[in-house]
Amino acid sequence: MKQGTLRTILALVVALALTTGLAACGGGNGGGSTTAGTQAATTQPGKGKPPVTLGTKNFTEQFVLGQLYKQALEAQGYTVALKQNIGSTEIADKALRSGQIDLYPEYVGIFNTAVAGDTKAYPNVQTAFTAGQAYARRHGYTLLPLTPFTDVDALAVKPDYARAHNLSSVADLAAIRGLKLGAPPEFRQRQTGLVGLARVYGIRGVDFAPLTIGLQYQALDNGKIDTADVFTTDGQLQSGRYVVLTDPKNVFGFQNVTPIVSTKVLRAEGPAFARTLDAVSRKLTTRAMQQMNAAVAIDKQNPADVARKYLQANGLT
Amino acid sequence: MTAPLPLAAGAPVIPDFGRGSSCVRDNGAFCWGWVGDHWGDTLRPALLQHLALTGIAVGIGFVLAFLLALAAHRRGRLTTPVVLVTGLLYTIPSLALFQLLVPFTGLSRTTAEVALVSYTLLILFRNTLAGLAGVPEEVRDAARGMGLTQRQVLWSVELPLALPAIVAGLRIATVTVISLATVAVFVVNEGLGAPIYAGLQQTFKTELIAAGALCVALALAADGLLVLLQRALTPWTRVARSR
Amino acid sequence: MNDFLDAFRFIGDDVGLLWSLTLDHLALSGAAVGIALVLAIPLGVTLGHLHRGSFAAINVSNVGRALPSLALISIGVAVLGIGFVNVMVALVVLAFPLMLTNAYVAVDGVDADAVEAARGMGMKPREVLWKVELPLALPLIFAGIRTAVVYVIATATLAAVAGAHSLGDIIVDQATYRLPGVLGAAICVAVLALLAELLFAGLQRAVTPRALRSEERSAPLSVLGDLDSERTAST
Repeated sequence: MKQGTLRTILALVVALALTTGLAACGGGNGGGSTTAGTQAATTQPGKGKPPVTLGTKNFTEQFVLGQLYKQALEAQGYTVALKQNIGSTEIADKALRSGQIDLYPEYVGIFNTAVAGDTKAYPNVQTAFTAGQAYARRHGYTLLPLTPFTDVDALAVKPDYARAHNLSSVADLAAIRGLKLGAPPEFRQRQTGLVGLARVYGIRGVDFAPLTIGLQYQALDNGKIDTADVFTTDGQLQSGRYVVLTDPKNVFGFQNVTPIVSTKVLRAEGPAFARTLDAVSRKLTTRAMQQMNAAVAIDKQNPADVARKYLQANGLT
Repeated sequence: MTAPLPLAAGAPVIPDFGRGSSCVRDNGAFCWGWVGDHWGDTLRPALLQHLALTGIAVGIGFVLAFLLALAAHRRGRLTTPVVLVTGLLYTIPSLALFQLLVPFTGLSRTTAEVALVSYTLLILFRNTLAGLAGVPEEVRDAARGMGLTQRQVLWSVELPLALPAIVAGLRIATVTVISLATVAVFVVNEGLGAPIYAGLQQTFKTELIAAGALCVALALAADGLLVLLQRALTPWTRVARSR
Repeated sequence: MNDFLDAFRFIGDDVGLLWSLTLDHLALSGAAVGIALVLAIPLGVTLGHLHRGSFAAINVSNVGRALPSLALISIGVAVLGIGFVNVMVALVVLAFPLMLTNAYVAVDGVDADAVEAARGMGMKPREVLWKVELPLALPLIFAGIRTAVVYVIATATLAAVAGAHSLGDIIVDQATYRLPGVLGAAICVAVLALLAELLFAGLQRAVTPRALRSEERSAPLSVLGDLDSERTAST
């Protein structure tokens, strides 16, 4: 091999490595796909504003919400980086506090109990929101207006199990010894979880099976657990194959969605930022959310596609 | 501002999102239809991200290891400390290393790349240095005897002869990074690890199997390509084959 | 930085939990290594002794190295379901190629002169294997075992996503243990892997006949180890 050729090849390799290295440093945090709306908007309030990082927790509805907010913002000219599937509430909150994300879709009840450590039982969602907002403001965050839909934790059982044990509400579970309950690991410590169930309904001695969110229905079907922690807007609940137990004492709280944003970022992005998010929130009814969740969980559609179709159908892009 | 927003006039429009095939709706073992439908929006972007993660890590790792090897080739005393440090990094399980970096570099591509680069260093350093050291002393003497400077000896004699070992190291490093980049999903939701991890969170396993198979295929393809590269760069080794 | 200090506090506070998970981790790793050993070493040694099957024996490790461990464990979950046995099977699949190739190359590559001499002295093939080839091949065989052990210990960390217990349980569950817990477990796993590496490096040295220890290589380079014992990164 000629000296010159070898030199050239090695020089090219070094150059390539250095360039990609610089690109990596410049790129910084990973971004999602950029599927900005193609509707020509004469006003693009987001243009020129600093980029924003949106995070989502680790389940289907969050993926859909993340895409809805992201695409709506991008249609208004904002630059949004999506950090999907960060983890549970506790991890998302930590990411927000450390500045790794600027906003994520939170549930007002979970925010109060799991983040603010506030175990008071509120009579309605408005008072819960006010309390949450006060805490958030004290820590440099703002809760944006609530969505019409609410997605609450619930305990689901199979119909024959419900018949066999005469179950219609969560309170009926207290009579069952050694109840096998499947839920994500954080359920064990939560007020909207085992702690609240023990305190309010007297459900104790539970055989707890930590499960990844998304696998609980299979575990229920296979009989590995007696009851599963589900979300009321889950697509799988539409099939009618599961009985959702009622929660008369409202242990699971009020869970409308409120995008939680760093107050500093909110100010930097201008008033149109919150308005864009509100416009999306306004259109999220329980039925709409259920259909979107089902499209992703049952029909295995891509959350970005589902969000895009929904936004287009409702004139939000 | 404190009340739930009133609905817009009339309920929102809920479009048809497309009904999945029966294979998909029943969580069949493997649905080719799904792979075809979602290649563009799920699998291909993940593959491209994986290629980027790998390319950057191997590129930076190669430059660093190469410079370290050149330095150690000059000053033998550097070898042991470099091997110890890179060996230490190499032994730390990737899931652990990714998490240990998070407090410093956050949930970002940087964290993933720093960890991946550190896994390439030992192999690339070791192979490059061993390749250089493996050049017979007589050849070096002959070159010097012909009047070549030390730099010329390095670039026109030692490095070409070290190429097989260097490329062998690149092979191992590349395949290793392709494999480890899947674990990066615990830090940044990119690369083929993302559909694999998403697949672990569902009953429907097609996404997981497809991404896993892609990852294996990618590694085998990269390995094969590097073998071809090595053969192309070192035609003389093909002649002298003992077995 | 605070998180790191808290991590050590976590280790101090939760010694019981960490110890129990460490035992689970070692049980899983040990079982997988044991089975892979029993399958791979005799096969590799036999093939190497007979100088047969070189293409397969050498290339199986290339394929083995290419198998992304997370992908393999995940596909195992899809096919076999979750649990100890299923993860162990995946770990055996990952460890087998490494040990096989090293065993083969080790015995196959024993100095032909030594084998000739032994045959010349009238030794039967089996005697040649046990008295000459194996002792000379032991260091490289051990290098393969060492690599496989560290690899399996590292990959067992991922067992958490497949329903088997290991130190990875804490690392993937930040919701329960918070970042200090995750960091604490990560430190424990790293230390465990390093201890295994040191232990087996020592064992490898112990089985290396003194005469072979420094060989023709110059002193600094001996630290690099044998190029033939292709190592695979810890997962």
